[in-house]
Amino acid sequence: MARWKRFRAGRDGALTVSLAEEELGLLRSLPEQLRDVFEGDEEDPARARLFPRAYLDPTAESEEAEWQALVGPSLLRERLDALQLITVTLGRAVLVGEWWQIDLTPDEVQAWLGVLNDTRLVLGTRLGVTEEERALDPGDPDAGPYALYQWLTWVQGDLVEELL
Amino acid sequence: MPVEVQEPAIEELTLTDKPWIVIVWNDPVNLMSYVVYVFQKLFGYSRKKATRLMRQVHEEGKAVVSDGPIEKCEADVARLHAHGLWATMEHPS
Repeated sequence: MARWKRFRAGRDGALTVSLAEEELGLLRSLPEQLRDVFEGDEEDPARARLFPRAYLDPTAESEEAEWQALVGPSLLRERLDALQLITVTLGRAVLVGEWWQIDLTPDEVQAWLGVLNDTRLVLGTRLGVTEEERALDPGDPDAGPYALYQWLTWVQGDLVEELL
Repeated sequence: MPVEVQEPAIEELTLTDKPWIVIVWNDPVNLMSYVVYVFQKLFGYSRKKATRLMRQVHEEGKAVVSDGPIEKCEADVARLHAHGLWATMEHPS
């Protein structure tokens, strides 16, 4: 019997993803939370991580402002479009046996990759993650978000392995 | 009219058209495999080159991933930001 795979390659870059019911529910909750960050306070460190400076040099303020004006709106638009796209795909999950399955086109796969990564960047920034794994007490208020972060890391890792 | 046009010396070109560079910085969130994938996808690098650059970012804290005219570097930085990588650009003086 074939080993279970979360992402299974189809034809022409298409992928089929398999999710447990709770996983589907979790993923469906992400787009709205991310939208709040995308459209939220520009001083929010998590938002700043998604939309960073292009110029490290603090004396390059005018170049930075010019660059932000040039590409900022399209970078935001792109991220909002990815949220819409992943929401559409999550709405057409079908139950096959005990798994919810979704067939993804290459564009939808890219939206998934972006949303998974953006959510990890937001959570990672909020939790202050480092390259060391953390062992958290179940009662720790960070335990839930950190578990979500680790699960997303696992899912994104599987997706990238399939794409590489 | 001269038959042969003398091409400017390479040194002259590099002095006047010194390229901008795009730097990717290490961060604790982006997966190593994802960074390799992004370098391959955005720049068309081989797996080997993309992996070498990813390792350099990871081990040295940063790596120059592309260079060229300012417009190209601006576009490269925007694509890297769209993919969640922390990239900046500068002009080596």
